[in-house]
Amino acid sequence: MTQNSPPRTTSVLAPQLGRKERPERRATSEIMRKYGHLLFVLPGLVFFVAVMVGPTLFALVISLTNWTGRGISFEFIGLQNFQDALSYWPLYRAAINNVILFVAMLIFQHTVGLFIAVQLNEKPRFMEFYRAVLFMPVIISLVSTGFIWTLMLSSNIGFINPVLRDLGLGFLAKNWLSDPATALPTVIAVTAWNSVGWAIVIYLSGLQNVPEELKQAAHIDGANGWQTFWRVVFPQLSPSFTALTVLTFIGTFKTFDLVYVLTGPLGSPNYRTDVVGTLIYRTAFGGSGNYTDDISMSFAIALALVVFAFMTLIAWALIKILRRREIQS
Amino acid sequence: MKTVIKGLLVGVLLATTAISAIAQDKVVLTMWHNHPEWKDRVEAILNKYEEMNPNIDIQLEEISGTNYNTRLNTALTAGEAPDLFGLNPGPVTADAAAAGYTVDLTDRLDISGLTDSAKAAITLDGKIYSAPILGSYTVGLYYQRKIFEENGLTPPTNQTEFMALCDTLREKGITPMIAPAQDGIIPSFLYAMMVASVVKAEGFDEIRAGTRKFTDPDVLKAAYFLKDSYSCFQEGALATPYVEGKALFALGRGAMLEGGSADYAGFLETNPDVDVGVVPFPAVDGGTPATVTGMEAPYNVNAKSEHIDEAVAFLQWMMTAEPAQMVVDTITLTTTKGIVPSDNEVMKEMIEAGRSNDVRVFYEMPETGAVFGVVQQNAAALFLGDITPEEFAQIVQDAVKPSSSM
Repeated sequence: MTQNSPPRTTSVLAPQLGRKERPERRATSEIMRKYGHLLFVLPGLVFFVAVMVGPTLFALVISLTNWTGRGISFEFIGLQNFQDALSYWPLYRAAINNVILFVAMLIFQHTVGLFIAVQLNEKPRFMEFYRAVLFMPVIISLVSTGFIWTLMLSSNIGFINPVLRDLGLGFLAKNWLSDPATALPTVIAVTAWNSVGWAIVIYLSGLQNVPEELKQAAHIDGANGWQTFWRVVFPQLSPSFTALTVLTFIGTFKTFDLVYVLTGPLGSPNYRTDVVGTLIYRTAFGGSGNYTDDISMSFAIALALVVFAFMTLIAWALIKILRRREIQS
Repeated sequence: MKTVIKGLLVGVLLATTAISAIAQDKVVLTMWHNHPEWKDRVEAILNKYEEMNPNIDIQLEEISGTNYNTRLNTALTAGEAPDLFGLNPGPVTADAAAAGYTVDLTDRLDISGLTDSAKAAITLDGKIYSAPILGSYTVGLYYQRKIFEENGLTPPTNQTEFMALCDTLREKGITPMIAPAQDGIIPSFLYAMMVASVVKAEGFDEIRAGTRKFTDPDVLKAAYFLKDSYSCFQEGALATPYVEGKALFALGRGAMLEGGSADYAGFLETNPDVDVGVVPFPAVDGGTPATVTGMEAPYNVNAKSEHIDEAVAFLQWMMTAEPAQMVVDTITLTTTKGIVPSDNEVMKEMIEAGRSNDVRVFYEMPETGAVFGVVQQNAAALFLGDITPEEFAQIVQDAVKPSSSM
């Protein structure tokens, strides 16, 4: 628009320009002024309802039945599935593994991830290369990641144990995924390898937003490098800390594909690596192929909804607590 | 120039119309199968049928065993299952029939050419819903001929010999047994054969009737044997997937493998020079070496298929001599009467092994339908010492639903 072009008028502005309008048209304009912006939200809302809210409500209805997943016969059994879910000890066994995974990943992301981000923030030579290499595992599909690591870790065809032996470190060679002592730590290590890129990127963006003046002021005030980082820089990273913690929580509690590929549908050995994702899958579709006749889709959905409610509650609490901490810092 | 372009366009249009007309004349039957390693062999049989019936196009999709049932269940529920699909006989087929997923083939299919055991396996309350077109499998103990000959060894016949053989092989630096135990299928078959060596076919009927139990002192020995056999497995057995284990054995990385007739085709795919023999599985001390036999997922016709008659005709042909011969020569045992392997020595040995003491697999019977899965889910606990053989046997026994009609 040029400076000389006349101002555009809209129906909302029309009354101010003194035009006469019919009352119903004025009412429509008023509604549009108040709620018109919602039209922009509508497509997304429709999509969200269609693919999220609708199926969730449908799932809720199924969870109130005894539908096995085969056939069309079922009966409504009220809240029986939820009652059973809360006293179903495999759920707690799996959830404990999720908690261990979450705590380990939390520590890893906030220490190793932060450390690497700080190093990269110093802008070393080949920084772009390092950043790309460290982020690469994130863009590889989890199924592919699982297969690659399964092959590398295999006691029979893997190369990790032979390499350790060739390096004279044979005492470190293990049956990584079949030994109860190393199976879950190995799953944690693979998960960490896969997701450390996220921690680096999130922390790096936080570090790059810390004003240089703050660090210079701390330096002038006599703070050493560690004090500057801990007292000045780290508090500025609170939003990154919050985002990463919540994302890690959600990611570790919904983990499925990596565990399924690494240790199979039974969370081998003997459920030591079973997580709620594999438990729900096994309950819905069966343990391993052809022979299971104890599947229950409705119970699996009840388990999923219980976990969903629990995750929502914890994620909300985490955000609440960590946001308060952000404001304080 | 314009005339040439117009001519080309008209030509393309006519060709497209002709191709689509031909395609419309063909009846397309979709078929899902759960042994990707058999793909070429199964397709060779299907090609034979298509040659004889030019109006039929059978589109085979191979889905790996662990994903097959998941996909099939979902597809059946969604009404998008293929025209032809395999299901285990017994409880699983009964469930599918009750749900209305499959066509009742009782009056549509002539099964007089099948063996008696095959007829019994596919008959549910006097009705027939499936056809065993890809035969049956018998499970025994495969061994590497070369390893045994070079070391002057003979296949074991009982628990004591088996455990001693494991020690001997270990001392020679040879992995005694490949057992891909990640999903528990192999341990479940092992336990089935160990139990069979004690109870035999009659005792299995008693277990189904509830008059004999897995916790009985003589049957309990099978749980002890299973636990002991773990020491013979390869490194990392509990994390070894099924396909990896079979490939390891085919490549000679272990001396023995519990395996079925259906596995041999897969060995050949991995290693065309594989040289193996097969015997019944060693008996629990005091018992008889045993094998177990099951049907290779008999085929059902989708009740929603638009080509039910064509699908039934295909199933009927698959039970005749020519395809049955191809099955037994290239894939596994056949269930068609009078058909024997022409030059497949391993299949001949497997048939011989099955003559000693053969029992049907747990999961085909309604009373023990859940037993196979329960063993799968608890074998690792037994191996790791998380539960005792007594506790294991009790868990298995709890999964039996005895039938008073037995």
